[in-house]
Amino acid sequence: MKGLLIKDLKLMMMQKNFFILILLITMGMMFFSDDVIFPLGFLSFVVSLFAISTISYDDFDNCNAFLFTLPVTRRIYVKEKYSLGLILGCLAWCLAMLLAFIAKSIKPEFPMPLADLFLLALAILPMVFVILSIMLPFHLKFGSENGRLALIVAFALIALIGIGINEGMKWIFNFDILQWLNSLQSLEFGTVVIIEFIISLIILVISLNISQLIMQKKEF
Amino acid sequence: MLKIKDLKKNYGDFFLDCSLEVNRGQITGLIGQNGSGKSTTFKSILGLVYPNGGNITVFGKDYHDLTTKEKENIGVVLSDSGFSGYLRIKDIVPVLDNMYRTFDKSYFLEQVQKFQLPLNKQIKDFSTGMKAKLKVLVAISHDAKLLILDEPTAGLDVVARDELLEMLREFMEKDENRSILISSHISSDLESICDDLYMIHNGKIVFHEDTDVLLSDYGLLKVDEDQYHEIDKQYILRVKKEPFGYSCLTNQKQFYIENYPKITIEKGTIDEVITMMIRGLQK
Repeated sequence: MKGLLIKDLKLMMMQKNFFILILLITMGMMFFSDDVIFPLGFLSFVVSLFAISTISYDDFDNCNAFLFTLPVTRRIYVKEKYSLGLILGCLAWCLAMLLAFIAKSIKPEFPMPLADLFLLALAILPMVFVILSIMLPFHLKFGSENGRLALIVAFALIALIGIGINEGMKWIFNFDILQWLNSLQSLEFGTVVIIEFIISLIILVISLNISQLIMQKKEF
Repeated sequence: MLKIKDLKKNYGDFFLDCSLEVNRGQITGLIGQNGSGKSTTFKSILGLVYPNGGNITVFGKDYHDLTTKEKENIGVVLSDSGFSGYLRIKDIVPVLDNMYRTFDKSYFLEQVQKFQLPLNKQIKDFSTGMKAKLKVLVAISHDAKLLILDEPTAGLDVVARDELLEMLREFMEKDENRSILISSHISSDLESICDDLYMIHNGKIVFHEDTDVLLSDYGLLKVDEDQYHEIDKQYILRVKKEPFGYSCLTNQKQFYIENYPKITIEKGTIDEVITMMIRGLQK
C-alpha cells in the first residue's frame, strides 16, 4: 500500500498550485471573517477529495490495468484510496484547526471559546468521512466523468426516498422523522458528535465493502 | 511456470479458446494479427478480465490466489497500459522501491542512464521508444521469475527493437530458471529470441512449434499443377492456390528435398508459416 500512497502523493503534487489556492482562500476566510468553522470544513472537504482526483489519474489511459499487475490486489487498492482520503481529510482538518487557532489568537474580538470551537470543528470530521464514503464508490464504479453525474442522480434519489419515507412514516405511524431529529438538539453537543462519529464510521465500513465489491467485478 | 488450459472468453462475436504453456527457462512467443486474441489472453492470465471458462495457473496457482509476495516474481508489460503519463521516472523509483522487496534501484537507474531516459520529464512526453524501454526496464528490474510481455516492441524502429530484445536476452542469461511469455505481431522479433512459438488466429491457437524445428524442418513447396498431383501429401499441412500452381506448407522439408529434387523448396519463415496457416487450406 505504501507504494500506491507514494504514487498518489506524486500525482497530487501536480495539483499543488490548486492546493495553495485553496489554502489561501481558507486563510482569507478565516482571517477576514468571524466564521472559522465554514473555512475549516471547506479545507477539510476539498483536500480529502484530492483522493478522488487520483482515481481519475488511474483511470486515464487505462493505467489501472498496469497497476493491478504490480504486487497490489484490488482490495489493497480500494483500502489505499480510503486511507488516502482519510489521511488528507484529517491532515487538512489539523491544518485548518491550527489556522483557526491563530485566527482566534490574533483577533481578540473572536467570540467563541476554544473548547466550543474544537467541538464544532470535530463535528466536521464525520461529515468528511460520509462525503468520502459516498463519493469513492461512485467514482470507482462510474469513473470521474460519469461518477459526477451518477452522484447527482443518487443524491436526488436519496432526497426523494428520504422525503417519501418521512411522509410514509407520518401517514402510517404518525411519526415525524424530521421532528425527531430536531429533538436530538436537546442532547449535549459532545454526545451528538460521538453519535455522529459512530454513524460515519459504520457508513465508511459499509462503503469500503461496497467499493471492494465494485473493484472486484471490474475488468480492465 | 505458466499453464493455460482451455481458456475461454467471449466478447460479443469474438470467442477466445486458448491453451498454452510456458516452461521454466524458456521464452515462449505468442504471435497473431491485431485482434486475434493476444491481449485478451494476457489480460486473462493477469486477472484483468474474467474468463468464461478454463484454467490458468501461474507458479502452479490460480493468478487470483497469488499473494502479493508471489506477484513480485512477475514482471509485466501491457501494450495499452503503464504508469500514469503524469509521473516522471524519479517519481516511479520510490514507488517501485516500496512495492518490490527485490527492486534493484542501482541497476534500474544505471539502465535509465544507459538508454538516456530523462528522469525529470513526464512519461507522457516520452517518445514511443522511450516509453517502451521504460516499460521493459520496470518489468526486469525486480528479479522477476516470469515476464509477461504484451507487444513490448510495438511501434518501435529496428534499432530500438533490437535494443529491447537485447535487454530480454541479458535478463534470461542472468538466471536459467527465468521464463518469458512475449507477444508480437512482428515475427522477426520472436524468431530471434523465442524457444517456441504459438500462433493465435481468431481467438484460437492454430499452431505451436519449437522455433528451431520451425526454421529447420518447415518449408514452402512451390509446385505447378502436375507436380502437385504427383507429390506425396502426407507431410503437407496447408495448401494455397497460386498463379503458378500451388504453395504447400510442409513440416518435413527434408523429405521433399530428398524425394523431389526438382521441386522449388523455400525455407520456412514465421511469416510464411503464418500466412499459410491462416490463408491456406488444410489438405
